[in-house]
Amino acid sequence: MSPRRKPKPPRLDDNPRWFQTSMFYEVLVRGYHDSDNDGTGDFRGLTEKLDYIQWLGVDCIWLVPFYSSPLRDGGYDISDYFNVLPEYGTIGDVAQFLEEAHHRSIRVIADLVVNHTSDQHPWFQESRQNRTNPKADWYVWDDDGTKWSEARIIFLDTEPSNWTWDPMREQFFWHRFFSHQPDLNFDNPDVQDAMLDVLRFWLDLGLDGFRLDAVPYLYERDGTNGENLKETHEFLKRLRAEIDAGYPNKVLLAEANQWPADVVEYFGDGDECHMCFHFPVMPRMFMAARREQRTPITEILAQTPDIPDGCQWGIFLRNHDELTLEMVTDDERDYMYGEYAKDPRMKLNLGIRRRLFPLLDNNERLVELFHGMLFSLPGSPILYYGDEIGMGDNIYLGDRDGVRTPMQWTPDRNAGFSRADFERLYLPVLMDPVYGYQVVNVESQLRDSSSFLHWLQRMIEVRKQHAQVFGLGSFDIIHCENPSVLAFVRQYTDPETGERDMVLCANNLSRFAQPAELMMSTYDGLVPHELLGRVTFPRIGELPYFITLPPHGFFWFQLVEDGP
Amino acid sequence: MMIERELLERYVAAELPGQRWFGANAVTGIEAVQEIEGKLTQVIVRGDDGSRYQTVLGVRDDGLLVDATTDHDLALSLLHQAMPDEDAAKVRPLGVEQSNTSLVFDERLVFKLFRRLPDGRNPDVEVTSALADLGFEHVIAPLGTWRDDDADFAIVNELLLSSTDGWQLAMTSLRDLYDRRCPPEEAPADFGFEAERLGRVTAQLHEALSEAFPVGDADVDSWIDDMEAQLERVSLPDDLAPAARAVYEAVRSVDVGPAFRIHGDYHLGQTLLTDLGWYVLDFEGEPARPVAERRRPSSPLRDVAGMVRSFHYAAEAALRQVGSEDEEDRRLAGAWERHVAERFLAGYEGYEPLERLLPPTETRPVVQRAFELDKAVYEVGYETAHRPDWVGIPLAAVRRLLAEA
Repeated sequence: MSPRRKPKPPRLDDNPRWFQTSMFYEVLVRGYHDSDNDGTGDFRGLTEKLDYIQWLGVDCIWLVPFYSSPLRDGGYDISDYFNVLPEYGTIGDVAQFLEEAHHRSIRVIADLVVNHTSDQHPWFQESRQNRTNPKADWYVWDDDGTKWSEARIIFLDTEPSNWTWDPMREQFFWHRFFSHQPDLNFDNPDVQDAMLDVLRFWLDLGLDGFRLDAVPYLYERDGTNGENLKETHEFLKRLRAEIDAGYPNKVLLAEANQWPADVVEYFGDGDECHMCFHFPVMPRMFMAARREQRTPITEILAQTPDIPDGCQWGIFLRNHDELTLEMVTDDERDYMYGEYAKDPRMKLNLGIRRRLFPLLDNNERLVELFHGMLFSLPGSPILYYGDEIGMGDNIYLGDRDGVRTPMQWTPDRNAGFSRADFERLYLPVLMDPVYGYQVVNVESQLRDSSSFLHWLQRMIEVRKQHAQVFGLGSFDIIHCENPSVLAFVRQYTDPETGERDMVLCANNLSRFAQPAELMMSTYDGLVPHELLGRVTFPRIGELPYFITLPPHGFFWFQLVEDGP
Repeated sequence: MMIERELLERYVAAELPGQRWFGANAVTGIEAVQEIEGKLTQVIVRGDDGSRYQTVLGVRDDGLLVDATTDHDLALSLLHQAMPDEDAAKVRPLGVEQSNTSLVFDERLVFKLFRRLPDGRNPDVEVTSALADLGFEHVIAPLGTWRDDDADFAIVNELLLSSTDGWQLAMTSLRDLYDRRCPPEEAPADFGFEAERLGRVTAQLHEALSEAFPVGDADVDSWIDDMEAQLERVSLPDDLAPAARAVYEAVRSVDVGPAFRIHGDYHLGQTLLTDLGWYVLDFEGEPARPVAERRRPSSPLRDVAGMVRSFHYAAEAALRQVGSEDEEDRRLAGAWERHVAERFLAGYEGYEPLERLLPPTETRPVVQRAFELDKAVYEVGYETAHRPDWVGIPLAAVRRLLAEA
């Protein structure tokens, strides 16, 4: 027997509110790095790339589901909550990955689908046998298959109904997503308990929290649309209480694709989820840039309620799903389709399945502006793997696979992702002349000191230096007549040291240079220091503060007291 | 402290004629002097144009007699006349204004001191307050006013952060268009969507005005008299006047719909897009006209005509900014104007409760054309006097409207 390896000590600060000031990075285990050359990424491969992730400045990795699954929905169809998909590795590989990440001061959260399972899950297989077995009530069954018609169909492109007939049990089962994903019955206390066991299992292994997938749909009630019901909130409160009791410094991040006024319900009184995604702000950033006008952004921020103490928004530009347009009006959706999905293949359900760079016409200046806004608007930023090097998409792949292609590490075979035969890759690497791996890859951008990757790494570093003010600071719009300019001040005073940090952010949404007269008389006497170069700008006076913004340009200024 | 009458007289005679808001050439007399809390002196004078003007003076810390809007402490005392409990650390003037003086306190409150005092209430305060009382959400409800029984002296509004006026937004859209050179409805910064929302808000504004003020029969004869009088004052190239008269005359024989209080000087610069949608500002009416006339009921289509004219001006002004003589750009300007006007009207006419306040669909174009023409003729006169380079814009509109008729 070989001597047991000495464990590496974790280097995580003991701060229950770490997520309020963190930089998140979403990773697909499947698509990141393949260590055993079977064509599919795995935990060992991911562990090998932790140094890169640490260099980038990531504080927390978010993993999409890696549990056992028939993979008919990218792993969101779980068939065993207590096991890892064999292609990804073993529980031991996960444990080692967590240890290595924690040693690098990186936390890890993972997707957990609580609303439904795969139809291959033993629970469902048992439940469908007959109407009397021990798991008969673990799912939502009905003879009729017509009730709750108020509940909308989410996957419009593939699902005609939320009910599907099961010939074995000779009943309909309820599913808010694909018909191979039956919804669990949370009215059954056994289901609730089973789910809590799942959470405990992974927290014991070392996970730092969960992104709770599709959380608004846990319950069904007559005469409702089955979203955001009070029973759902009660269950989430129970879940939170269990975690608080046994596991310090963990986080729950809710995926509730709803209007901000409804989403805040998932924070409870600070006793439900720690974080929620802010969905509507993202499509509006795209709209604002196309219209060269800030209103779409300021409108949605004005409609966003305050959140309880100790909570945080999660904001993002793109993720593994389509750019969802559920939370925009019909007019706005038509506008977004017209502008960003000129080829019908780019549309999916109520959204657009494209990556960040193609969405922004590969315009690096615009991408920089978007990151400037992402890093400075209220919330914790969540990056999507591959966007840091400007990867593209493949709209000819089915469903959302086009934005889930292998990470492009090098210009070598299979983009350095895997040494398997090309045909064996879980999805083909991108090879087009603009976004293909020969052009877009980590290695060449690391070598090129003026690459987007280096720019982003530097921005993350700067944001980290001001993580408190960007993560926790107040948000005040600065009045400016020019509609293309979005300017605001973030301000935070450390309750312990009394130290104040104040940052002025000015963004030009236009592709033309713009003058900006910022109405800042209330900041009279402060001196702006540009955050990247620490260049001192003229003192702010009682009159409007004038700056010139280059096309799609943005500035971050720290506002400091005038020195002696 | 009491300021000597003789000093006051010398001050107003010397200082006022140089002020932008003072429309007269000289002060003919002081009408009223009022001491306020021992700090401010309100002086109402009459100018040689017959109008009354207001200025408020005070003595600065260094002993100098100054306009109270130019000094921090005196300005705060001014604010207290409208809102006694407010406090503010900072004050700044609000850009360039022609007829009033506005101060911004703490980037939060806008204090507007009226300069030209009409006989009776200020129409802007009167209308805005009436609409706000009705619960109409697209005007900025006054937070405080400074007035006595006969006149409004000042008003305080909330500063709407991140708001932009309609003119600026139209310029943003046009800049995008002239750069991309695509049909306006396909341009990413298309203004059509906002124009339609503005049309709807305009319709709701007219509905609210019809509830806040009496609705009566239109006095078509006097409208036509006014329009013809305007035509007399402006020298159009000779072939145009008779045709214009015919357009006005056509109104006499059709159903023009009811008349009620309208905005009266409606254009893109009087609108503000905020995070809560469009707001309509400044109900003072055309400042060049007497207040009694500005209060007179009229057709809501006069406001519509004003806005449509404004779209034309925006397209042309942006073209001048670009400096383009290009035929293609000229065509785009026309297409933008037509497209935006269409969307505006779709929003306006699509608001069903308005139907009863408008002329019947068949006669609507006749009435609206007359109002647009009247506005364009007024613009020809204005541009001839002030900006001769620009006279081509309204003149082209006059020719186009006559050709359409």
